[in-house]
Amino acid sequence: MIGGIIGFVGGLAVTLKSAWREPVTAEYPESEKRLNLEDRYMGFPALTWDGDVGEPYCTGCMVCVRECPTQCMSAEMKDNPLYPLKSRRRKIIDSFEINLARCILCGICVDVCSFDAIEMSHEHELSKYERNANRADLPSLISMGRDYQKKIGWNPRNPEKNNGLPQVEEGGLDSGAGEAVEVEE
Amino acid sequence: MDGSIDLMINMGPQHPSTHGVFRLVIWVDGERIIKSEPHIGYLHRGSEKICESEHYAQIVTLFDRMDYVGNLNSELAFCLATEKIMDVDVPERAEYIRVILCELNRIASHMLFYGVYGLDAGAMTPILYAFREREKIQNLFESITGARMMHNYIRIGGIKEDLPGDFQKRIVEVLDHLKRGIEECDALISKNEMFLARTKGVGSISGSDAIDFGVTGPALRASGVAEDIRVTDSYSIYDRFDFNIPVGTYGDCWDRFYVRVEEMRESIKIIEQAVRSLPEGDISASVRRIVRPPKGEVFVRTESPRGDLAVFLVSDGTDKPYRVKVRAPSFANLQALEQMLQGAYLADAVLILGSIDLIMGEVDR
Amino acid sequence: MTLSEVFIILAKAVILMLSVSFVVLLLTYAERKALARIQQRMGPTRVGFRGILQPVADALKLITKEDILPTWADKGIYWLAPIAVFVPAFLMWVTIPVAQQVVVENLDLGLLYIVAISVLSVLGLVMAGWGSANKWAVMGGLRAAGQLISYEIPFIMAILGVVMLAQSLDLTEVVTQQNSVPFALVQPLGLFIFLTSALAELGRTPFDIHHAESEVVGGPFVEYSGAHWSIFFLAEYMNTFTIAVLTVLLFLGGWSWPIMPFDGFLHTTLSAIWLLLKTSAVIWLIFWIRGTYPRLRIDQLMAFGWKMLVPLSFLNILMTAVVLFYSIPLWVLTCLSGIFLVAAVYIIRFSASSSMERETIRLISAKELRSKVGIPPLETGGKPE
Repeated sequence: MIGGIIGFVGGLAVTLKSAWREPVTAEYPESEKRLNLEDRYMGFPALTWDGDVGEPYCTGCMVCVRECPTQCMSAEMKDNPLYPLKSRRRKIIDSFEINLARCILCGICVDVCSFDAIEMSHEHELSKYERNANRADLPSLISMGRDYQKKIGWNPRNPEKNNGLPQVEEGGLDSGAGEAVEVEE
Repeated sequence: MDGSIDLMINMGPQHPSTHGVFRLVIWVDGERIIKSEPHIGYLHRGSEKICESEHYAQIVTLFDRMDYVGNLNSELAFCLATEKIMDVDVPERAEYIRVILCELNRIASHMLFYGVYGLDAGAMTPILYAFREREKIQNLFESITGARMMHNYIRIGGIKEDLPGDFQKRIVEVLDHLKRGIEECDALISKNEMFLARTKGVGSISGSDAIDFGVTGPALRASGVAEDIRVTDSYSIYDRFDFNIPVGTYGDCWDRFYVRVEEMRESIKIIEQAVRSLPEGDISASVRRIVRPPKGEVFVRTESPRGDLAVFLVSDGTDKPYRVKVRAPSFANLQALEQMLQGAYLADAVLILGSIDLIMGEVDR
Repeated sequence: MTLSEVFIILAKAVILMLSVSFVVLLLTYAERKALARIQQRMGPTRVGFRGILQPVADALKLITKEDILPTWADKGIYWLAPIAVFVPAFLMWVTIPVAQQVVVENLDLGLLYIVAISVLSVLGLVMAGWGSANKWAVMGGLRAAGQLISYEIPFIMAILGVVMLAQSLDLTEVVTQQNSVPFALVQPLGLFIFLTSALAELGRTPFDIHHAESEVVGGPFVEYSGAHWSIFFLAEYMNTFTIAVLTVLLFLGGWSWPIMPFDGFLHTTLSAIWLLLKTSAVIWLIFWIRGTYPRLRIDQLMAFGWKMLVPLSFLNILMTAVVLFYSIPLWVLTCLSGIFLVAAVYIIRFSASSSMERETIRLISAKELRSKVGIPPLETGGKPE
């Protein structure tokens, strides 16, 4: 009230009042102290993993590469070795690289992907020890994607279209499901 | 003064209070400014030219980075222009969500202004209080759009995705917090005698001069001209809301400062009305992913936190625009700087520059 | 003077140097934590328990940093300036007592000495400004010269009021005089003048004009780095501590108020505790002000100094003189002083807005504006053919 009468005392009252409050800031690198990310947080794009088949969702169709505003991605496809017995996908991603230092986290690649193959993960740390360490290759993109899938319990938006299981009788194929088969090299 | 020579000083591009990379060459006689000369272009990224080689959907991300404090407002300007040229009707719900987010963004932007202005005046605490409030808005944005600043959320024909389930609860919390925060920020510095002495009567510009210079937004309203695109040339659904337009008297630094503080209060009123009448329904018109607007040109004005943000768009019928011209409010407001600096003190230069609320990303584009 | 006496004085000086440096390290930590609390931050948390070792880490970092000499700098002046600032700050401590006997050298004219020494640091700032060959630094140095010299007058006059009450220039004697009632209660106006002009002497908010970061980018210190910059820093905080202790000694009763029943060692201990408590309170006030206020402009600062503080300080002396000469009871002085203090605050309150009214913003409702302005919507471009 006195602040209304004398302005420079009012300011002192405001600062004194907030000196008794708890800090609103958090300490950063420790995971137990820092602030939580929202579910929708858009970190780096990452490739999702089809656990039913054991391969990434991505078929290397390049639509994200074409639509990226900063041209930060490159991809190559190959014939899928698991097709047709274990997987429905004829083509599969062979190599994929995203220059995370160049990515602007706009989420356009996620919007344009028709295979649910790319998602904005919650990764956001850009500090690296090497100049080129922010060029994420396929294994690291997939591991980012798998972490993300595990963290938020991800499900494909369009499961019946993008499910990788071959559309034959299910019994004979279960043996291969769920195994992590490294796709490249 | 006989025998004395004017001292030329480079203020910027690395001066701490030029709000980005802005260079102001001033000639001073003691502490008085004789002449000043703004130099811009240090943050020129060629955004307008890049627009010509990008798809319409990609350009939204460029607009995010033009006014990097009022991101959603600049996204809106481009999307409105594209929708106008394509003659798309945006669903009601999307319009309401746009208005809510844009007004929140306006508060966030004015909060940043408030804090930085305190810093310019030499007070250290306002910026931290302002960021405390602004963080609440940023967190809400993060839960809605997925990003704290570069949202890419407002899309051509609507918005990216619907509001999250707990939105109603959170917006009420944020608004309550903001109301208290704004009053606290106001009490901290607005009535302080030293602050009043620093800003009252400093850098005055008359209404007619301001209009001649092309000043818009809060800086123009501070000079006593009641001009707000949201009302006088209404876009989106702003004509449905009831709010006040704060108008100053002298056009000095204090008026420009306090018009923005009042605007924050008014924005809260708009948000409350919009949240109350938020309809259900679609969030986006059916627009193709690769937009190919018909041939033609269109001009759209919006009220960004800094003023009249207008987009002039020429389409040649392809998936990329022929020309995108942005009428950036900061750029136009900057023109009045020389006039305002006439006869001011060196210490005032910082405050006058701050009171225009420059965003160099928008000035240089 | 024998060799042993010289040795004792040297030892005292070294102990003083070390303890004052230690206090300065503590002060930097305290300031960061205090400002952090005011601003709802955490402040330093990493080095040591709750960041208590942060000043040590800072000092190590500053010492190991490169000392940069600008190409056009005036070398001698540039390197001498930090010393010219530091030495007076340190010399002040020679005669400041922290307890009855705990003082390096108690001078009979102690206050005169302090006043004389304190003004010397201006020289260092001007030297730093000139030697850096930087326009901002020159401006900062000149601002410092103008500001410090003009605020020296009310500063000295406020001290003079106390001297008249105590009838002595000896600080120990000044404190002893206050064992019944501290001079702050006798001369509230004097305390106000002293604190205000002391803040200006220190160059602290709201008078941090000569090293204002948002205006002159750090003023005289802008080109300094590493150890030389840290000496400026040391001097600044040492001065802050000095001023806080002086305030306590001159106005808040030093160690002898409110209670001092002991003798000998216990006396010294309790003295230190009293002094420490009171000094912390004054320092907290300084930090609190720093966390709240914006800074003044140079002309307003000068106007405030010459048109407000100098007349008020003369008035203070005049009142004290009249009261003492006619042996009027001291409570009359208290009342007079208090009245003028309130009047001063009143003048400050209304001088800022005397030429203009406070509320210049009016609200126009959107409804009204919509009906009033008939600006037709712009017809540009339009629908494609």
